[in-house]
Amino acid sequence: MGNWLYEKVLPLLEYVPYVLLGCVCAALIAALIYALVRRSQKKPVQRFIRDTLWGYFFIFPWLVGICIFFLSGVADSLLYSFYNLKLDNGLQLIPLTGEDAMGNTVYTPLANYISVFNKELNYPVTLANFAVSLILQLPVIIAFSLIIALMLNGKIRGRGFFRTVFFLPVIIATGPVMNQLTAQGVSSVPMVSQNVITSVLAGMPEFISTPISDLFSQLILILWNSGIQILIFLAGLQKVPTAMYEAAKIDGASGWETFWKITLPTLRSMILLNSIYTVVTLATGSTNPIIDLIYNATYAVTKGYSYAAAMTWMYTVIVAILLLITFLIIREKKEKKSKDIWRRDVESAKRGMQSKKVRKLLERGKAA
Amino acid sequence: MAIGGTRVNPSKFHKNQIPLYLYLVPIAVFMGAPIIYIINHAFKPMDELFAFPPRFFVSHPSMVNFRNLFQTAAGSSIPISRYIFNSLVVTLAVVLLSVLISTMAGFALSKMNFRLKGPIFEVNNIALMFVATAVTIPRYLTINTLGILDTYFAHILPLIAMPVCLFLIKQFIDGVPNSLIEAAQLEGAGSFTIYRKIIIPLTKPAIATGAILAFQSVWTNVETSNLFTSAEGIRTLPFYMNTLTSVGSVQGQGMAAAAALIMFVPNLLLFIVMQSSVMNTMAYSGIK
Repeated sequence: MGNWLYEKVLPLLEYVPYVLLGCVCAALIAALIYALVRRSQKKPVQRFIRDTLWGYFFIFPWLVGICIFFLSGVADSLLYSFYNLKLDNGLQLIPLTGEDAMGNTVYTPLANYISVFNKELNYPVTLANFAVSLILQLPVIIAFSLIIALMLNGKIRGRGFFRTVFFLPVIIATGPVMNQLTAQGVSSVPMVSQNVITSVLAGMPEFISTPISDLFSQLILILWNSGIQILIFLAGLQKVPTAMYEAAKIDGASGWETFWKITLPTLRSMILLNSIYTVVTLATGSTNPIIDLIYNATYAVTKGYSYAAAMTWMYTVIVAILLLITFLIIREKKEKKSKDIWRRDVESAKRGMQSKKVRKLLERGKAA
Repeated sequence: MAIGGTRVNPSKFHKNQIPLYLYLVPIAVFMGAPIIYIINHAFKPMDELFAFPPRFFVSHPSMVNFRNLFQTAAGSSIPISRYIFNSLVVTLAVVLLSVLISTMAGFALSKMNFRLKGPIFEVNNIALMFVATAVTIPRYLTINTLGILDTYFAHILPLIAMPVCLFLIKQFIDGVPNSLIEAAQLEGAGSFTIYRKIIIPLTKPAIATGAILAFQSVWTNVETSNLFTSAEGIRTLPFYMNTLTSVGSVQGQGMAAAAALIMFVPNLLLFIVMQSSVMNTMAYSGIK
């Protein structure tokens, strides 16, 4: 089994991005030749061929870039995670082997993945903590940036100044400045985090209280990270047609109602975009402890790149699951809500038609 | 509340605005803290830099950190202007190209119908989730195979295809009404005209955001200089700043603070310029 995997399946992995690139190239060339032939026969080029040509033309530069510089790396890291990688003289891929109960040498392709759990005892805990803190941070960031964006979209003086101030932390968030600031305690709300919250949290079980107290101690840090989200919401708010607000105002809607009935539904796609962006930045940002673990493992003597690659892949799967959950939650709400309103309308209409009174009236009508 | 797509800054102060300020100002103070800290830190003389407990504000501002920085820079074999030039070339190329490529791909993925469209967008989603640190070694091997080590291409090419940028821009292009594009097609516009005359103007906010993101990722990038180049003359400014300040000496700390301020200023300028294009662009979106 392991032998077959190493000889036949794994070496193919390296070619996956190039196969994709090749497929698109081949399709492009085929479409081009077809279009040229049609043209030489003085027949109009079919529409879908034209669409394909333009589509590939527009996507091609990006596809080349992502395939060569990113996807090949992703595929390679998956490949290497099943090997023992040595960079002594050139690149050496050594298949992972182990001994079974009989003392025979067998291939163990998953050895790296298993050893992650053996060597990194707190890896699962770190992952779980990350997931919990992500779930807690996401709504905070989204709500905060939405509120700030709404305020900054309003009629106030010095909007430009405020916008700049709210965005600036993003610019420096990556630098070592952030570490210095955290070390100095600027990033936590001093009195609040120590007294009020700890006393409230004392009664709760630990696995709930720890992430929440973390959330409060990092509150400022979280707010610093929401600059891009504010920017995206601001851009989204520009798309809400002013005529709708005017109409709502004429109908006597309050600001609160306008927000729930007009602003929020219009911004829904932006909320989805922002949530996914937030999850991605939190998951791959430099302040993430797991990234640190992976980075350190890459250059550690006892662990090495293939070990780190195994770690990365496990992490990627978890991030993918989290993203999927986020996506489903926000998506489902949207469809459910619209369906519900629709169904409610239809059902209430039906009920109205078939209520006893109506039926009686109808029957009387028939009788008469 | 102040919702409403207002496009004009009010010229007069109105008392309705007071509650808004009550919220905005305190938060702005917190949000502004890191910037104030950076500026203060850069002007701290040696004794204040290492004061314990550390202080937030500078009490005796001095230029000594900047002087040290420029003296050290003047003493090195390659002039600092070389690094600045390298950084400018690389940053400009990456920002322009990545915005161009992302908008083109976003347009195709959002508004065009062709085969393999779904899988290609999935590829982008995978790239979005993947930890960038984990691809450094394979990326080095790719760059080595292409033979572009120690060239500007080694700085530029790996950073051009930004998955985040594409995702952002694609999501915004989704919001451009199809009827606009159909109308343009009826008028006889080709795909390229639609791209240039409709997509680009209508997604300016997203483009500005993408450009800022791209700029940030390039301007502060030490990795490409570190991994893909070995000749000093081809390396970029952030790398140089890092080497100057990572000496570990006492002076290094002060120079690091000054360098942080210098690296930060272009970011600020870019944002102030881009800020206006994030706003006000949807005003003429054309569909009512």
